[in-house]
Amino acid sequence: MRCLLGLLWLAGALAFGANTAQAHPHVWITATSELIYAPDGAITGVRHAWTFDDMFSTYALQGIETKTKGVYSREELGSLAQTNVESLKEFGFFTFARADGKKEKFQEPTDYYLEYKDAALTLHFILPLKTPVKPKELAVEVFDPAFFIDFKFADKNPVKLVGAPATCQMKFQRPNDGTANAQKLGEQNFLSGENSNFGMMFANKITVECP
Amino acid sequence: MSVSPGSRQTLAHGLAVCATAAMAILLLDAATHVLLAQTPFGGPRPSAEPQVGGIVGWLLSKQSEFYREMSSTIRAAKSDGSAVWTLLGISFAYGIFHAAGPGHGKAVISSYLVANQETARRGIVLSFASALMQSLVAVVIVGICAWLLNATAKTMCGAEKAIEIVSYALIAAFGARLVWTKGGGFIRALQAPRPVPAMAFAAAGHHDHAGHGHDHHDHGHAHVQEHAHVVHGDHEHRHDDHGHDHGHVHDEHCGHSHGPAPSELAGPGGWQRGLGAILAVGIRPCSGAILVLVFALAQGLFWAGIAATFVMGLGTAITVATIAVVAVSAKDLARRLSGTKEGGGALFMRGVEFGAAGLVLLFGVGLLFGYLAAERVTCF
Repeated sequence: MRCLLGLLWLAGALAFGANTAQAHPHVWITATSELIYAPDGAITGVRHAWTFDDMFSTYALQGIETKTKGVYSREELGSLAQTNVESLKEFGFFTFARADGKKEKFQEPTDYYLEYKDAALTLHFILPLKTPVKPKELAVEVFDPAFFIDFKFADKNPVKLVGAPATCQMKFQRPNDGTANAQKLGEQNFLSGENSNFGMMFANKITVECP
Repeated sequence: MSVSPGSRQTLAHGLAVCATAAMAILLLDAATHVLLAQTPFGGPRPSAEPQVGGIVGWLLSKQSEFYREMSSTIRAAKSDGSAVWTLLGISFAYGIFHAAGPGHGKAVISSYLVANQETARRGIVLSFASALMQSLVAVVIVGICAWLLNATAKTMCGAEKAIEIVSYALIAAFGARLVWTKGGGFIRALQAPRPVPAMAFAAAGHHDHAGHGHDHHDHGHAHVQEHAHVVHGDHEHRHDDHGHDHGHVHDEHCGHSHGPAPSELAGPGGWQRGLGAILAVGIRPCSGAILVLVFALAQGLFWAGIAATFVMGLGTAITVATIAVVAVSAKDLARRLSGTKEGGGALFMRGVEFGAAGLVLLFGVGLLFGYLAAERVTCF
């Protein structure tokens, strides 16, 4: 009986359990972000520069017409950039902001363009907040909850504050690679719901405190 | 026969309830996970402490590793032909790990096998056929869209999305059909006067046969099977003959004395429905394969990408087949255990089949309406 239930459990876990784990990344993004502040000290939005890995860059460039082979001007990449930001909307631009614990919404991106350099595409765009806010504590996270895209911030100058009040302190936290918690996660709690927001463990978290 | 039918029934009922509950919990669990993971736009719950590790974390990191190595290996293959072998090795390993991770294919195939009285051998065939089809579809999409038409990624992705919807609708339709037939069997098992199947088991020597007898009478499945045999030609016929002549000897030799008679190997619906499973699962290509193919095409090594895709499919098939065999063995064991409980045993097995059929339907509907997430199509 035990054996039977065990086998059923194993079969079920194998067949269905992995749904928890969504996908492994198919796209890698190296990101740098700037938090933009208005003169009155309110944050107005986030400026992202996301560089795609070469496989995805090649994929995205498939079928794009150019005058010179292998050289893509900003204009030639214009429609692709538009496709990018339009599609990213569905995923909330993978950018999640909280001002003093309250969720903040973003508007449509502005100033977006693509750049092709060293066999990699970089998408630049500004993500303005619906309403500029002046919180004591601001948290901005960048990640893909389904972990289809692996966001890694650049090693050098990953995050910058632009025009922030001098008293503001910025902290940047890279995702934990999971090794520290590896022991804690047996198959048991993997199936029992401890892992529900799977991509979150790969979140990059920017915190700004302005006392 | 000394135990009172009452206690047997209770036991069988208990078993059935247990299994149903376990399955329901598993499904609910999987669904909630996916649901929660799929609502990122409300923002993540900051309280959840993220962790990864164990088998899942390891699988993911391995997959990532292999996948990332593919692009550099394809680049290397441009100047060094021997890198193609490395590419194939990586693709194979990636395929194995990839199927062990996410994906609805193995869940649908396993559920189908359990619902439909299938053999392990058939599970293996189905796994390989659907993986082969997946690879073919990926190659055809990239071949037509990118290579022949030089379409943009956006167009290609539109094609992928359309195919994806067709695939999910097929799974849902396939599940609905399974539920329809299995529901009938389950209801009849519920209504059947208990002592009768008990006698039938005793007489036939293996309950499985008895259970099937009912199905045949009610549905006229025999006809469907015959039809399927025609489609599939000699191979199946051979099995059929073998079965009729040596069924019991064969059973003794192989040690699975409770196995179905070979004429039942194909299960109700026969190969036709198996083809349905292959089509429903296999028509949706893997996003990873599409990316690799386009990348290889851009490097002027489309053929290497195609080879890598098929080797990837081979790896995937091995994992899916393994899972399918585990699922089928679990059911066989359940059948053997419940078989000793008489009357309720048939009910239990019909219940399990009905539940598995329901899972296929739920998977299809869930995927179709976005409650369940499969691997995302690369569209942006």
